[in-house]
Amino acid sequence: MDKLPAQVVDRLQAVTLADRAVAYLYVDDALVLIDAGGQLEAYGLGALRPGAPAIEQAVFLEGLLPLVETPYQLPAVEIAPGRVADLHFWTDEGGAWVVLLEVTSERDAVQRIQQKAYDMTLLQEREAALNRRLEAANAALLVAQRELEASRDALLRAHGELEVQSAELARWNKTLEERVAAQVGEIERMNRLKRFLAPSLAELIISTGDESILQSHRRDIAALFCDVRGFTAFAENAEPEEVVELLRDYHAALVPLIQSFEGTLDRFVGDGMMVIFNDPLPCPNPAERAVRLAVVMRDAVAALAVTWRKRGHQIGFGIGIAQGFATMGQIGFEGRFDYSAIGTVVNTAARLSDVASDGQILVTSRVATAVADFAELEDIGMLAIKGLSRPLAVSNVVALKDEPHQVIFFNRQTR
Amino acid sequence: MTVAVQKKICMLGGFSVGKTSLVKRYVQSIFSETYLTTVGVKIDKKTVTMGDRTVHLILWDLAGEDDMSSLRMSYLRGSAGYVLVADGTRRATLDMALSLRQRVEAECGPLPFALLVNKHDLSDQWTVSDGDLEALRGSGWSVRPSSARTGEGVEEAFADLAARVAPP
Repeated sequence: MDKLPAQVVDRLQAVTLADRAVAYLYVDDALVLIDAGGQLEAYGLGALRPGAPAIEQAVFLEGLLPLVETPYQLPAVEIAPGRVADLHFWTDEGGAWVVLLEVTSERDAVQRIQQKAYDMTLLQEREAALNRRLEAANAALLVAQRELEASRDALLRAHGELEVQSAELARWNKTLEERVAAQVGEIERMNRLKRFLAPSLAELIISTGDESILQSHRRDIAALFCDVRGFTAFAENAEPEEVVELLRDYHAALVPLIQSFEGTLDRFVGDGMMVIFNDPLPCPNPAERAVRLAVVMRDAVAALAVTWRKRGHQIGFGIGIAQGFATMGQIGFEGRFDYSAIGTVVNTAARLSDVASDGQILVTSRVATAVADFAELEDIGMLAIKGLSRPLAVSNVVALKDEPHQVIFFNRQTR
Repeated sequence: MTVAVQKKICMLGGFSVGKTSLVKRYVQSIFSETYLTTVGVKIDKKTVTMGDRTVHLILWDLAGEDDMSSLRMSYLRGSAGYVLVADGTRRATLDMALSLRQRVEAECGPLPFALLVNKHDLSDQWTVSDGDLEALRGSGWSVRPSSARTGEGVEEAFADLAARVAPP
């Protein structure tokens, strides 16, 4: 560069140094401060003492002296609070020079710009971090949403299955209700029928659903009549409770026997009973069944009579059995029907029962013939029966030869 | 008789990691919430007594490193040791501190240093894990979580470093 006139140099120096604190230090090779000057106070160096070690007095020189490079510069060093200087170092033959040229204003200007840039950068970093957290939260939310949707789908599926099951249950309920209604109807019908029909007859009608059996028809039947000997006298003398108790024991003992022999209990009035075989349930040997039933009935009542006699009641039991055609069917009117038999065979059996003495089972000749092989019979002779024009040959069943009734009875129980 | 020594220590790290705040906490025991970026370097002095010795630590608080301006190695001339500072809430500043360490070592050789992972008072926002710190300690380095706000780890870190730069 061409040499500048002194006036220009002076002017430039004045402009450059205006409003700047300038100071200097001069240090020898032994690091002793030789000289110092300028605006030392501005940098907190007002107490510098030439002749003393330099670095202990100006601590910013620590590690920098002796110089390893010259000239040497350190920019923007804040030596005292709020005082910033560029440090210029160089050496000459006497030692090292250190000049402090204040750059506080420049430093502040740069700082303002840099502050804004860093603030902006920090803001962007925070925004980025926030975005990352938001994205993470969003991802977590998405996962949660997917799980929720999966749960919802599972719930919907479960709901669907539940609805199907509910519908199925409703169908089952309906079927069940219909079945119950049908069964209740059947039971009611059965009860209604049982009220005025023998149980076996009622069950037959219910099971077949055919009530035509109740219509009038003729059938070859065996009719058994029985009643208690001495009952009228007993009923007159005993307390009503005793009478009822006796009848209860009597019926409890005999009715199951009748059912076990598949007889139809046509009716019972007080101590009397009428049992029919071969109608409405057909059976191949009605007379045999009637006689076998009669024997076990007799035995059963005999066992009961022991107790009654102990109580002072002379009670006996007589039975009459006949076989022949009778007219069978409903007798009565709406609301009070009876299924019964009408015919000579019924009257004959009833009359034989009337005349039978205690322990006797009186049978007609037809019945006697039918059971002769297995029953021990006693010929009673010809009896005039009320309502019949001719006397009748009558036999008494003394006992069974083979006692097979028990076999029949137990077979029924275990069926 | 008390022996006094003087040691230059540089504060290095990314911008806004808390270097100036750590020096203020250590030298003046104060903390300011206001962030004021450092341009150039600020020089402070802290005197530490270790037994019968007095150590004057001359603390050079250098401007933070960023993508635009890199460290002036001339500031480090004559330094006896340095403090590397990272911000636990900004993982990238730890990487920058480690990069600075490599550059300083390449320029000045293996000087004693301490690594402070600062802003531990905001630990819920930290992106540096305990595992990261353990891994760094595994290299034999002095690594501490610190907080200029609470003072956590500050005295200890400077005391350790003072003992290493000015051994008896």
